[in-house]
Amino acid sequence: MPLRYNLLVRNKEITSLLGADRETNRFPEWEKFVTWLGDPVAKIVAQQNVLLPEEIEEIRLRIGQPLLLVSSRAEVFLGAEGSARGPAEAYRIRAEDLAASLERITQSSLYAAEEKLRQGFVTLPGGHRVGVVGQAVVNQGRIQTLKHVTALNFRLAHDIRGRGKNVLPYLLLSDGTFAHTLLLSPPRSGKTTLLRELIRLLSNGLPDLPLPGCTVGVVDERGELAAMWLGQPAFDLGLRTDILDGCPKAEGINMLIRSMGPQVIATDELGQPADVTAVREALRAGVKVLSTAHAAGAEDARERPILRQLLGEGIFQRLVVLSRRRGPGTIEGIIDPRNGQVLYREEGRAWSSAASS
Amino acid sequence: MVFGSILLIAVCGGSGLWLAARIRRRPEELRQCLTALSLLDTEIRWGATPLPEACTMLQERMDQPWDGFFAELGTLLRQGQAARTAWEETIRRQRPAFCLRPDDWKVIGDVGKGLGRSDREEQHKQLQLIQHQLEAVRTQAAVWAEKQAKMWSYLGFLLGCAGVIFFI
Repeated sequence: MPLRYNLLVRNKEITSLLGADRETNRFPEWEKFVTWLGDPVAKIVAQQNVLLPEEIEEIRLRIGQPLLLVSSRAEVFLGAEGSARGPAEAYRIRAEDLAASLERITQSSLYAAEEKLRQGFVTLPGGHRVGVVGQAVVNQGRIQTLKHVTALNFRLAHDIRGRGKNVLPYLLLSDGTFAHTLLLSPPRSGKTTLLRELIRLLSNGLPDLPLPGCTVGVVDERGELAAMWLGQPAFDLGLRTDILDGCPKAEGINMLIRSMGPQVIATDELGQPADVTAVREALRAGVKVLSTAHAAGAEDARERPILRQLLGEGIFQRLVVLSRRRGPGTIEGIIDPRNGQVLYREEGRAWSSAASS
Repeated sequence: MVFGSILLIAVCGGSGLWLAARIRRRPEELRQCLTALSLLDTEIRWGATPLPEACTMLQERMDQPWDGFFAELGTLLRQGQAARTAWEETIRRQRPAFCLRPDDWKVIGDVGKGLGRSDREEQHKQLQLIQHQLEAVRTQAAVWAEKQAKMWSYLGFLLGCAGVIFFI
């Protein structure tokens, strides 16, 4: 059943993340979060007061290198007492620190994190992700696991709300149905966060539009959208959302269509050849598709083989382009890729690439 | 005099019976440990269940005193302790609740050495190895316990009687 809306609202101004309607959690679980770092790094990070917890985006632990905090405005090396230091005086990460942290994030159950390690990251409660690199153990051309871990990257998830409400009206077609939508951005620009919020809004409905809630099926292949922890989603994805966790997109989309009857299927990071087939499958079933992909813009997307195919076939009806220009989640523009019409554009930037597409 | 004699025989006999009961508990506790390790192996190998979650399951499935053991272990793991230290710490704290001997604990202590630190197949192999060792210990313990328990059941009363004769 297609989505139907009674009223279209397209005149709302979209504000960027740095705008007045920015609503960020104050990171209430910060003290609990730092324990995942393992001692003594946890103590150092807990003591630091250089950056506010809610503005920290990454905590990087590289063997033999200084302990590094990254925010959108600064990179800070921390000394052993938790204050900002130069790289030479900063606390150097040791192999034991990485082992302690890895033991902590896998809950002393390395076997349970095998699949995650194969993908290169582990998801923590709260949706935070830990990127893991080390020596890959390859068996018959397939990565079996990672050993001798050399670096961990704690990527903090901040549940930022407020943009979805402004973006959603642009994602409706003239007949009131939800458009097949692709969110494009380089890494760390907030596309997963926006996707999560759009899923929640579509699922709950938006009385202001008015938008009735609809059944959303989420194929969370990388465990990033719902951030399931022991079967419980860390993020609220709405009242009518069914989550298939850790399942490959192609199989997952088919499973959801057969079993849960979704009206919208949401999935993260299209980019594999099998994803094209999966998206086509959803189209055949009359289900709307909401997804994301790595690309700096519409033009960049057209240069990537898989995305070129999807855009060339005219599958997607809306492209939302994000960047970090004014902080993560800056919405650069929203375009209709079928005719190149720019529906929204962020002020202060030339938009030739989007307009030309 | 008569009352004192009866009391002495009762106390010695009761102590003997209590000791015999404790001795009989040893093979039973080893059997329960084998069951727990087998369940843990299944959870790890087929369910890839993280250790804290597996401990909760074992806590529910096992009888005393192993339920307390896994409850404590789960708590320590959830607090962020490494599996090895958590296992050792749990043994240290829970030991008084068991009737096992130091040799038994040596074998059980080996479980913690590689727990959670390798892939599923490796974990399975390690747990199986320990189960085999523990099975051998249990078989010996069963024979030993049967003899010892019988001996202490009688010995208590006999010592009581000997005491009475001595005092008379």
